[in-house]
Amino acid sequence: MLDVGRHPNIELMAYSEVDKVEGEAGAFKVTVRRKARYVDEDRCTGCGACAEKCPTVVSDAFNEGLGQRRAVYSWFAQGIPSTHTIDADHCRQLNGKKCGICKKVCQADAIDFEQQDRFIDIDAGAIIVASGYDVFDASRIPEYQYRQIPNVITAIEFERLLSASGPTSGHLHRPSDLAVEEEIKGLEKKAAKALKMLGKFEKKYEKGSEEFYLEYRDGKYEGDEDRRKWAEKYEAYLAVSGPLEEMKKEAEAFDVAKRLAFVQCVGSRDFRFYPFCSGYCCMHSIKEAIIANEHEPETTSVIFGMDIRAVGKGFEEYKIRGGNQSGISYIRGRVAEIVEGPGHNPVVVYEDTRERKVMEQAFDMVILATACAPSRDVEGLAEILGIEINRFGFFQTGTSQPLDTTRPGIFTCGCAHGPMDIPESVAQASGAAARAAQILTDSRMRKAS
Amino acid sequence: MNRDIVVIGGGIAGIQSSLDLAEMGFKVYLVEKLPSIGGKMAQLDKTFPTNDCAI
Amino acid sequence: MRIGVFICDCGSNIAGHLDCAAVTEYGSNLPGVVYAKENLYTCSEAGIVEIQKGIKDHNLNRVVVASCSPRTHQPLFQSSCAAAGLNPYLFEMVNIRDQCSWVHMQERDRATEKAKDLVRMGVSKAAFLEPQDDIEASLIPRVLVIGAGVAGLSAAETMADMGLEVVLVEKEAEPGGLLNDLYRLSPYGENSSERIGEIIKAVSSKPNVTLYTGSRVEDIGGYIWDVDITVRQGGGETVKEKVGCVVVATGAVPLTPEGLYGYNGRDVITQMELEERLLKGEVEAKGIVMIQCAGARSPEREYCSRICCQTAVKNARLLREQSPETRVHILYRDMQMYGTENEQMLWDARGEGVRFDVFLPDRPPEVGEGKVRFYQPLTGERVEIPCELTVLSTPLVPREDSASLSQLLRVPVDQNGFFLEAHAKLRPLDFATDGIFVCGSARYPANVEEARSQGLGVSSRIATILFKEKLVTSAIVAEIDPATCVGCMGCMEMCPYGAIDYLPEEGVCRVNRILCKGCGCCASTCPSQSAMLKGFKPNQLLAQIRAV
Ligand SMILES: Cc1cc2nc3c(=O)[nH]c(=O)nc-3n(C[C@H](O)[C@H](O)[C@H](O)COP(=O)(O)OP(=O)(O)OC[C@H]3O[C@@H](n4cnc5c(N)ncnc54)[C@H](O)[C@@H]3O)c2cc1C
Ligand SMILES: Cc1cc2nc3c(=O)[nH]c(=O)nc-3n(C[C@H](O)[C@H](O)[C@H](O)COP(=O)(O)OP(=O)(O)OC[C@H]3O[C@@H](n4cnc5c(N)ncnc54)[C@H](O)[C@@H]3O)c2cc1C
Ligand code: SF4
Ligand code: SF4
Repeated sequence: MLDVGRHPNIELMAYSEVDKVEGEAGAFKVTVRRKARYVDEDRCTGCGACAEKCPTVVSDAFNEGLGQRRAVYSWFAQGIPSTHTIDADHCRQLNGKKCGICKKVCQADAIDFEQQDRFIDIDAGAIIVASGYDVFDASRIPEYQYRQIPNVITAIEFERLLSASGPTSGHLHRPSDLAVEEEIKGLEKKAAKALKMLGKFEKKYEKGSEEFYLEYRDGKYEGDEDRRKWAEKYEAYLAVSGPLEEMKKEAEAFDVAKRLAFVQCVGSRDFRFYPFCSGYCCMHSIKEAIIANEHEPETTSVIFGMDIRAVGKGFEEYKIRGGNQSGISYIRGRVAEIVEGPGHNPVVVYEDTRERKVMEQAFDMVILATACAPSRDVEGLAEILGIEINRFGFFQTGTSQPLDTTRPGIFTCGCAHGPMDIPESVAQASGAAARAAQILTDSRMRKAS
Repeated sequence: MNRDIVVIGGGIAGIQSSLDLAEMGFKVYLVEKLPSIGGKMAQLDKTFPTNDCAI
Repeated sequence: MRIGVFICDCGSNIAGHLDCAAVTEYGSNLPGVVYAKENLYTCSEAGIVEIQKGIKDHNLNRVVVASCSPRTHQPLFQSSCAAAGLNPYLFEMVNIRDQCSWVHMQERDRATEKAKDLVRMGVSKAAFLEPQDDIEASLIPRVLVIGAGVAGLSAAETMADMGLEVVLVEKEAEPGGLLNDLYRLSPYGENSSERIGEIIKAVSSKPNVTLYTGSRVEDIGGYIWDVDITVRQGGGETVKEKVGCVVVATGAVPLTPEGLYGYNGRDVITQMELEERLLKGEVEAKGIVMIQCAGARSPEREYCSRICCQTAVKNARLLREQSPETRVHILYRDMQMYGTENEQMLWDARGEGVRFDVFLPDRPPEVGEGKVRFYQPLTGERVEIPCELTVLSTPLVPREDSASLSQLLRVPVDQNGFFLEAHAKLRPLDFATDGIFVCGSARYPANVEEARSQGLGVSSRIATILFKEKLVTSAIVAEIDPATCVGCMGCMEMCPYGAIDYLPEEGVCRVNRILCKGCGCCASTCPSQSAMLKGFKPNQLLAQIRAV
């Protein structure tokens, strides 16, 4: 990735989109909109001082909303370019409030609230569209209750939980537990604040709040306005500390998720959504089950799928070894629904085809293998590029030249072309590069020896 | 004829195309809509089939 | 001496398990060190800027980075030094991630002490580093492609248009590979020989492609970037060619399943044989059962052959299209219909009345007496299907001569006998050896679209090398001092890359700098200490060891 940033022949235009394409193969004119970051790319060193001080907390899209970032942020720590960006939707300053803290702390003087979108015209001979895919929105499947049941998550969220640089530093804490812990933190803050206030009264009247409150309730200080306030504060404190203690007790029993279920074909192979197979999700479920087991050897996983598609070099072997060593078992069939059981445990309901009976099994966490959906803006992009989309929502390609789109000089590869894993994407990417080079190399220019 | 190339999308596919073309000596403009390149692969913990780190 | 030391936190990957600030402080006090800096991520843009700024502001003449693995990051740091005007061979790297924070995760103090030791060793060695110049060699813009199936032909066609010369060697009398013998192609149903015919025609029309049919590569000599090849043609005559790069596109063949499911080539046949019968219009059977994974996904052949499920569904549909009263029943373990068009074919086949049933590998179907019997695990019942023809979907297996070809080319094959690429994920078309590439079913079973895309991809990989004026490689190679070499040839045997020649006239050995990979085998064997590896000379290593 870093090679891209350093290569003298690559001009990296991040935070940018193609606005317009005119001309034809060999002579395209491409207009790129460089979106305003409100941070000067040439000045920003990526040090992150701004993000440390920014007071506005925003849910972190890179971590699939499982963590938080600031309104000024880098997409992820090792990102290329490391230039920070101000999120115009949330930044106080850009929304007319008083702030500008980042501008004050930036030693490089890179913050520029006045920055505007810029348009840049590029003369190009060929275009490669590698705009990838989107993760299917699992909340469109009502029976799986993603979003309603906290411990039902998507595979990409699970990747972030597994990641050492993710929101849980790689520990498989359950979202329901994380929510309680988050609440505990909030309540602790409140309690501490309340205690501080009570402390003032205690000092003033040289008496503990509890003792005072008993007396107060007995009617001892009737008419004393100041003491009435004290009593009120104490009541408020009790309202916080009671639940806090209970939650803390509950949290003591929290453990990392060890019984995992993977539900395959979520949005894929499903006529309500996408009829196609996304190709890589069987493998990433196996992978995630293996890694979870590496983190915590007691972990067991059940993969619910119609077929397990381990169709790539070394994949079947990977699956077999994973099954033998990582506590993975397979149940054939499509999951009918997921409900919430006691202890926030999601319960998977499926048909045991052999017994012809509906079965239920409870897990600590359920991971949905979501489809490789055509990206949300694929139609807009197709229109800008003047190329067609196939019946599945990906860019249409030719039969004799599998990486050529319907417009000469524009090629495609990777998941923009169709669902595929990384090895396939990489091979196709080189193939698309070859097509571009092929049409742009004038054979007279390079007469071989 | 213009020999520069625009690559749209900085996921693993766009990165590979760009690097190949740049090594061949073509000038490449890599356009990515997010603040940094890397695509989905950057979000993955480890990747099959080699299980080494993603980036 | 003006040494700069940069200590990487790697976020918390290193700093979480040892005290990077203490290591930095320690480094700054080592002899020769004039500047030490701790970075959050030394490899990030910000980190690189800090190194380059350090070189300029403090006039550094040596740089030491203590971070992760030199294998992944040394080239980056070296080129960053070069960009700041410091000879890249004056850079030294210390691995405090793998060797300290990872292996001593629970021992913060000891990990910190060890990191200090390693930094001290690196700094001691750095003082003895010498500037070097990269090695340059000329390149031959000519490519050998072995195998003229769809993958090899696609590569040849594309490279020819890119202005490279191609020598295409096919062992059969006709180019085209397996596609010459197939009936119609999934997913779009084109006529297979017409499809491959078009590609052959395109390749034949290129003046810069030399096609040798009925021929084999008999010998390969010289070294990569400057390869001498000998092609033996059908008539027995040989031709010599010189090329810069090599593509392996030798494909694979469907397994003949001797002894499996009563295979007899008459009423129990393979998909390949079915294709031949379809081509000749010879299929009369009205009840047909196809059995998937025949000879695949088993203990002796673990892999899934990727293309046989699509082939079976394609042929099942073709059979029913030709005579709708034909009953086709496919017995499978998992239908590997990955992607858009394949899965659509599966839906269509189901809709059109092709029947599908699962079987278990430990209770495989039994074939005989005009029927196939199998255990249906989903219902727990034993099922019998009467049929006149049983078609076995057998996997693609490596060609017989792939082992000898791998030896000739000195590239590896995997446990299944397919050619083994440099990295399964990030370098699927490269071999670890420079200048040799692989595409199509020679790497792993691929369908036509995939084989063609890979053929294109290989062209791109090769153009990244041969479009350059000259080749530039690392100066970290071995040298043999002719003054002290006694010509014992011990090093020649040790060298895994065949990079050492014996010069009989002078009575000494000599290293070919282009072939040498800098492994150092020769230097550690040489009894007279004449062989030395640049960048790892005795004085440099001793300085490092004495610092322990
Ligand atoms: C949970 C999960 C786990 C996975 N695990 C693995 C694994 O272990 N191994 C494996 O091989 N595969 C895995 N995959 C599959 C892998 O993610 C894909 O194969 C790969 O990311 C495809 O790369 P791409 O470059 O085609 O697309 P993407 O990664 O989607 O990249 C596309 C890029 O284009 C940008 N873009 C989109 N639209 C535009 C536009 N209009 N203008 C400019 N830029 C745009 C996007 O922001 C993005 O950066 C996994 C997938 C998921 C969901
Ligand atoms: C029964 C069957 C049906 C199929 N149906 C379809 C289908 O419908 N759709 C689809 O997309 N794919 C189908 N395929 C897959 C298709 O055959 C492959 O995609 C294709 O053959 C791959 O091409 P290739 O160039 O990699 O290899 P090959 O076609 O195997 O070509 C390799 C070439 O290299 C030559 N060669 C080998 N060794 C040497 C050597 N040492 N020296 C010189 N030359 C050598 C061979 O003679 C051959 O000409 C089917 C395969 C089978 C077995
Ligand atoms: S890869 Fe597996 S989970 Fe994904 S759509 Fe295909 S069959 Fe379903
Ligand atoms: S593609 Fe289908 S028939 Fe072939 S080995 Fe894989 S699962 Fe078996």
